[in-house]
Amino acid sequence: MHVGDVIGYSFSAIRLRKMRAGLTILGVTIGIAAIVALTSFTGGLQVVMTQQLEQGLGTDTLTVSTGGIFDLFNGGGGSSDFSLLVNDTDTISSMDHVVSTVAAMTKTINANFSGDAFPLTLTGVNYTEYESMYNTFVAKDGNIPATPENTDVVIGSRVADPWQNGTIIAQVGDEVSIVWTGRVNDVIVMKNYTGTVVAILDDIGGFGLGPSDFGFYIPMTWATKFFDTDVISSITVKMDTRNQDEIDALIQNIDDAFDGLVTVTQPAALLDNMNQILGILNVFLAGIAGISLIVAGVGIMNIMIVSLIERTREIGILKGLGMHRRTVMGIFLSEAIMIGLLGGVFGIIAGVVFGNLIGSGLARGNFSGGFGGSSSINGGFSSFPPITPVVTPDLIIGALAFGMIVAAVFGLYPAWRASKLKPVDALRYE
Amino acid sequence: MTTVLEYELTEEDFLPKVIELKDLTKTYMMGQVPVKALRGVSLKVYKGDFIAILGPSGSGKSTLLNMIGALDRPTSGTVVIDEVDVSTLSDNQLADLRRNIGFVYQTFNLISRLDARSNVELPLSIAGIPKKTRKLKAEVMLKIVGLEDRMHHKPSELSGGERQRVAIARALVKNPSFLIMDEPTGNLDSKTGLEIMELVRRLNKEQGISLIVVTHDPEIGNEAKRIIHLRDGLIDSNKVS
Repeated sequence: MHVGDVIGYSFSAIRLRKMRAGLTILGVTIGIAAIVALTSFTGGLQVVMTQQLEQGLGTDTLTVSTGGIFDLFNGGGGSSDFSLLVNDTDTISSMDHVVSTVAAMTKTINANFSGDAFPLTLTGVNYTEYESMYNTFVAKDGNIPATPENTDVVIGSRVADPWQNGTIIAQVGDEVSIVWTGRVNDVIVMKNYTGTVVAILDDIGGFGLGPSDFGFYIPMTWATKFFDTDVISSITVKMDTRNQDEIDALIQNIDDAFDGLVTVTQPAALLDNMNQILGILNVFLAGIAGISLIVAGVGIMNIMIVSLIERTREIGILKGLGMHRRTVMGIFLSEAIMIGLLGGVFGIIAGVVFGNLIGSGLARGNFSGGFGGSSSINGGFSSFPPITPVVTPDLIIGALAFGMIVAAVFGLYPAWRASKLKPVDALRYE
Repeated sequence: MTTVLEYELTEEDFLPKVIELKDLTKTYMMGQVPVKALRGVSLKVYKGDFIAILGPSGSGKSTLLNMIGALDRPTSGTVVIDEVDVSTLSDNQLADLRRNIGFVYQTFNLISRLDARSNVELPLSIAGIPKKTRKLKAEVMLKIVGLEDRMHHKPSELSGGERQRVAIARALVKNPSFLIMDEPTGNLDSKTGLEIMELVRRLNKEQGISLIVVTHDPEIGNEAKRIIHLRDGLIDSNKVS
């Protein structure tokens, strides 16, 4: 029997039991859709995170802090007794391959914009140095002053327009009351002052160690006075080299200069880590989705066994007409594979649609919580830029192949049983 | 006529043998109990023969047909079909042999989801014959059995007699050397039964196809050239009518 005839015969059997085959195909569709949606979404997430990190961190910068890598995202400061001070930038600036340095002091404050109060992460920086370090520190409204007043405040775009729906809570020229509760010389104090918004930053998107849409920036000179401390959170170093050996030497120099009490982070290394983590996440999510496909495979086996029992007599007729064992096996296997293939095709379509829905849903902030992070303003909106799921030919071929392989594996046993039937017994079957 | 070996030859020895059974036995296991369905049957079927096998139920008629149809292997003895000893064949070779045997069942055994033409095409499709050729052959065969205007009807849309005609067309489409029929009129009314038997008799006479028919119907017995009575797995009588 020709392959085309075997497939045609199998297809006629599937068509006969549309409902049953349809439900089994649905099972495979769900499994494949889950794999495609999650994998393509994670791929899209990886692209966005890489872009954002590259933009936010700059690939020619190093960050010096006292904590570990992840303390950077929490405003720096680790468990060590050692503290970085404002004038520590001088030590680093004199080193080879250092173009510039900028110190940042971060504190959590309450900002009150004429009645709308939010907890925010305040960053004390030298505006000019920060501007030259990060090209994202650019004003959309107002101007970032080169010699700022103590009361000057620069805010991120999402601080001005938190819900991105036109409800503007702060504009250039508005006053903002800043309240800080903290400890100075072992005494708990609550201090406040009134600042003036002088600039609103252009949209940055994403996250990173540099400027953020949720940022609230005051001049470093005033920060040291207001918080009554020289202790800073981190120093960002701009380099004139991308040569890894020279970068490693500079990292070693900085580490030695502070007796190994600081952590020097290279964004490129952070990117590698992030990619590695996302890779693991991807495998984990695809694994979970894979389980649903295995369940669908059991469903295929189930209907194939039912079909085998129902069609025992038919198998007897076919064998009586001279059909070989392997052809009977081929008919049953191709039925299972066809179910896998159809489920795969529908699953890929559903997966791409679903992946896009998750991506755009997250970007619109419909999914509250999640990755908001410490810098988000209190509330249920998200800092995610739109994520476009990455659907590669590899993913499509892989998903189709996986669906068909699962179907074939689970169809193998019923097909083998069908092929083993003796014609005389099968014909006698009632 | 006598040879130098003093062996007496009959006219039949010069006819081509299609089937030869020698001391055929078949024992089934019914649970733990062995059941002897055939106890030593020897039989020769020649080209153009028309044999009716009669006997009460349980006499081994169907078992004998299964052996002749290469659907089953004997417990002992030999079955030679078209000069091939069945007991030496593998499953696939046995399947290949069945492609040249026409088998008509009492219950028609058509594939319900396929129309009449596709059912007739099936043995050709299994043998790997191209679609165009098999379509043509199936249509010719359906015309021969008088179903040219019922080709695209499914078995459920056909009468019992029409179904049996489709089954006969399916059995004959591969141009087999012999046709086995298991109670071909058992599920038909007497008028349709007669029509079917008339068709079969004509095929035997005009095409020279050997016929082996298991039946309870004495009418068919009267049509046959030889009548074999089976009883308790043995040939009780083998008469030329």
